[in-house]
Amino acid sequence: MKKLLYTLLLCMPFALLAQQDCANAISVSAGTYTVDTIDGEAPTPVCTTSTTNPANNGEWYLYTAADDVFVTVTSDLQVNSGGDTRLQIYSGDCGNLNCVIGDDDGGNIGNGYLSVASFQATAGTSYYIAWDNNWSSNGFDFEISEADAPPPGQLTFTAQGVTTNGSRLAMVDMNGDFLDDLVSVSNTNVNINYQLEGGGFNTVDITTTPANYTPSWSLAAGDIDGNGYNDLLYGGGSGVTFMYANDDGTGFTEVSGPEYVFSQRSNFVDLNNDGNLDAFVCHDVQPNVYYINDGDGNLTFYQGADPDGIPSGLGLVSNGGNYGTVWIDFDNDHDMDLFIAKCRGGQTEAKINQLHRNNGDNTYTNIAGDTGVNLADAVQTWSSAWGDYDNDGDMDGYIGASSTSDGPTKYMRNNGDGTFTDISGSVDLSGTPLGIENAPGDFNNDGHLDIFSNGRILLNGGDGLSFTVLSQTVPQSGAIGDANDDGFLDIFSNGLFLNNANDNNWIKIVTIGDQSNRNGIGARVEITSSGLGTQIRDVRSGEGFRYMSSLNTHFGLGQDDAIEVVTVYWPSGIITTIDNPDINETLVIHENEALGIDDITANDLKLFPNPAEDFINLETSFQLNNAIYTVFTIDGKRVLNGKLDTNAVDVSNLATGNYFMRIYQENKSYVQQFLKK
Amino acid sequence: MSKYYLTLLTFLFALLLSCGNDDNYIPVNETDDDPIMTDDQGTVDDMNVTVDLTAVPFTSLSEYGFFDGNLADLIPNQGVLEYSLINKLFSDYSIKKRFIWMPEGVTSTYDSDNKLLIFPIGTIIVKNFFYDNVLPANSRRILETRMLIRTADGWEFANYVWNEAQTEATLDLDGSNVDIMWELNGETRSVNYRIPNIAECQTCHKTGDTSIPIGPKPQNLNKSFTYSDGTTENQLQKWLDAGYLQSFPNSINTLVDWEDTSAPIKDRVRSYAEVNCAHCHIDEGHCSYRPIRLDYASSILDENIGICVEPDEDLGGGLSHIIKPGNIGRSTLFFRLNTTAEEVRMPLLGRTLIHDEAITLIEEFINQLETECE
Repeated sequence: MKKLLYTLLLCMPFALLAQQDCANAISVSAGTYTVDTIDGEAPTPVCTTSTTNPANNGEWYLYTAADDVFVTVTSDLQVNSGGDTRLQIYSGDCGNLNCVIGDDDGGNIGNGYLSVASFQATAGTSYYIAWDNNWSSNGFDFEISEADAPPPGQLTFTAQGVTTNGSRLAMVDMNGDFLDDLVSVSNTNVNINYQLEGGGFNTVDITTTPANYTPSWSLAAGDIDGNGYNDLLYGGGSGVTFMYANDDGTGFTEVSGPEYVFSQRSNFVDLNNDGNLDAFVCHDVQPNVYYINDGDGNLTFYQGADPDGIPSGLGLVSNGGNYGTVWIDFDNDHDMDLFIAKCRGGQTEAKINQLHRNNGDNTYTNIAGDTGVNLADAVQTWSSAWGDYDNDGDMDGYIGASSTSDGPTKYMRNNGDGTFTDISGSVDLSGTPLGIENAPGDFNNDGHLDIFSNGRILLNGGDGLSFTVLSQTVPQSGAIGDANDDGFLDIFSNGLFLNNANDNNWIKIVTIGDQSNRNGIGARVEITSSGLGTQIRDVRSGEGFRYMSSLNTHFGLGQDDAIEVVTVYWPSGIITTIDNPDINETLVIHENEALGIDDITANDLKLFPNPAEDFINLETSFQLNNAIYTVFTIDGKRVLNGKLDTNAVDVSNLATGNYFMRIYQENKSYVQQFLKK
Repeated sequence: MSKYYLTLLTFLFALLLSCGNDDNYIPVNETDDDPIMTDDQGTVDDMNVTVDLTAVPFTSLSEYGFFDGNLADLIPNQGVLEYSLINKLFSDYSIKKRFIWMPEGVTSTYDSDNKLLIFPIGTIIVKNFFYDNVLPANSRRILETRMLIRTADGWEFANYVWNEAQTEATLDLDGSNVDIMWELNGETRSVNYRIPNIAECQTCHKTGDTSIPIGPKPQNLNKSFTYSDGTTENQLQKWLDAGYLQSFPNSINTLVDWEDTSAPIKDRVRSYAEVNCAHCHIDEGHCSYRPIRLDYASSILDENIGICVEPDEDLGGGLSHIIKPGNIGRSTLFFRLNTTAEEVRMPLLGRTLIHDEAITLIEEFINQLETECE
């Protein structure tokens, strides 16, 4: 008893020490402070971008902003060298703390385990600064500094508390309102945070039958059956599970194939251009697999080359090495080509990257090693980020190294003629991280695509020839989308991190297919504005390595305050243009409603011989440079597509019947009918 | 005369087999009704296994004739040698019995203590996977018998999945899963046991693109083993005596048993890693593009085992090094061994449960390291 009393007495004074808990946080302003041993109340939730486990103890401070200022809190001070800190910053009150941001290892001094975090503070608002002992209870100094504004080019993210359940994998619309929702998955559950109009989320858990395979390697989303609700693909280590959303999006039906698949990146795309969305899955240790949609949402499994599937196959190396696929239109002929980021130890073909050109007739040819293409590289890569980084009208490739054992990251500039130039040597990539996740996005809406790479943002300097590597407050790898409909790209990883907006303009475009697949996946979307010129995107399902990012097409506009024209090249061959759309909002384009380019039945487009047998020749008075030919059935189904290399088109594989030939060039399309013998 | 000899041999087999297993397997073989044994025309040669290499893999395990009597008793026929390894791959606590067979007149040769023996064409390596005390009957359940067959074209994989009656195993290279509940050290455990697809075999069993065995290296074979006839002998000596090995040197750099607490802890970790990690983390291995080298010869260097080495892939969670001395919370190697999450666990294949005993070893190893990382 005596001993207990003594203990109580000994502990009492500590309980009264000011920074021991949230309610007694010490008031601080700009300046330097000393934290003694960390032994007070532990701060929760954890707001750091990289760690989620709560600590046992914390020390609390209260900062109130006198003005609107940009605040930096740091323990990354020479005096703390060798120390190990973790920091959480909250708004709200002690009964209801909201994450602003946090940091674990953002520091550079000593072992790099010190912390630094910045946030935009609002005048008169109080913020709790809490240091915890996740790594160490030892004391240290910290500094609070204020600036009028973030440094130029600085992006910041704010942590947003969300309740999730399972692996946080996707930011994509799940209920057909075109707002990105947050999707987390476990074996028997799909947890969806439905984004509400006006902000916030409605959290719903949808129980599923136990999935044979969970999306441990990747998740993809797309509307397989065209019912208006996205379905999910779980890429597991020994097989693939599909979760079909029901007709009101409130439940899922599980379909798991019996086939062995060591899944890596998965994608949805219309592989055979029949208007139905197919699925593709990278196989780590065998040839790639794909699932062809019969039009009723039933998927048939194929592996490798198959006359009933894709006759050429889509990556046939027997030992696989297929890690990150992305479907892109690298040659601007308005069909989707496939780049495969490959990885494998040892001397093996399995590590050589591939670029499969869509031949427009359900076959693909790996041209990575062709003269000038320069993409048959051994760099050990799990994913690549493709976008038009220099806004010159074609897709460039950032082939992110996961290891430097077979060479560093490759930055490949598209020459516009189907060849690439390796400009890695002339662009400073020295601060770019290694890792498995690389995906494009315009994070500051300046109209120049950036790259989200392994917890860093490579901020495009504007010409696609220089990047600033941002790390502070940048989240770990995750899904990219717009979780608060403010037109700025957010990241869903360890939690939800909202991108703090700036005054740049933007537009988001939703493509609703009709003849094409429902999501418009595979469409090329172009916008033209006065200052930035033309920007391009492909509608893609499945970028980076693991996560599923938004299917909405996002463009930053910088200070351009109008878009002259939006053009959508649908996978069906239909072309839609919309003039002067409103900006700073979402534009929904329906393939079956929108205004299209009028086809000109050109008297001077002559096709001969007609009827044609193997080849059909074109004769015109207009130039055919870079023209795209497309052959449609009389029902409007696209059956051939490609760039015109010569004035002849190979029609030998077409069935006997009537067809239309369309020649598309510089926003004009010329159409003529012909008969195939 | 030969018939009498056979009967005697059978008796000896039944009597003495219990000593011959490294996994505490006590076979029950009291009712041996193998027709060969009672065949009046039978000769010693009947027990010799012959395999037509142009016809492999056979559709069933019994066709090879490797085992005598009740198939599930795994009693080797003449010429089929059981063997064990000093350190074994952890496979979700399954127990394994290994055998090797070579045709008449050929032998393996010794290359180096850390390299596979050079096996002749016709060699077949057989590995049976089972659990004891499987519920509800507390009985043994053999799940699969994997084979590596050295044909003229190189090593070929075969895998035989056992039926529930435990009377036969059938060729199946597609891969499957089996739910198993069993009792281990008085505790009920469960596993969704993975029988591999052929591509999973190749993922670990290869150098470059070439298929290879993993276990039978002199450094991991150099131990004594008690055979079914009750004799205890060094395995390499036994292989030499049986004509399975041409020669071997006096001095062999040998793995320590990772469970031997009297051995230096780094040697124990290196020996564990050699068998559980080095099939990928070795030159020309599946993951040779990663910085660590975990084969026993290479792991003597601190940087090859990941001490103070930053990982290529940032997994978050404050994991700053592959091994951060004194700090398991910042050590990726510990994290990857101590998780069941498929996308981050190591080894990549063959493990869905945590190997608790190995985790204890790795934790102890990291905690006693005092190197300051630069």
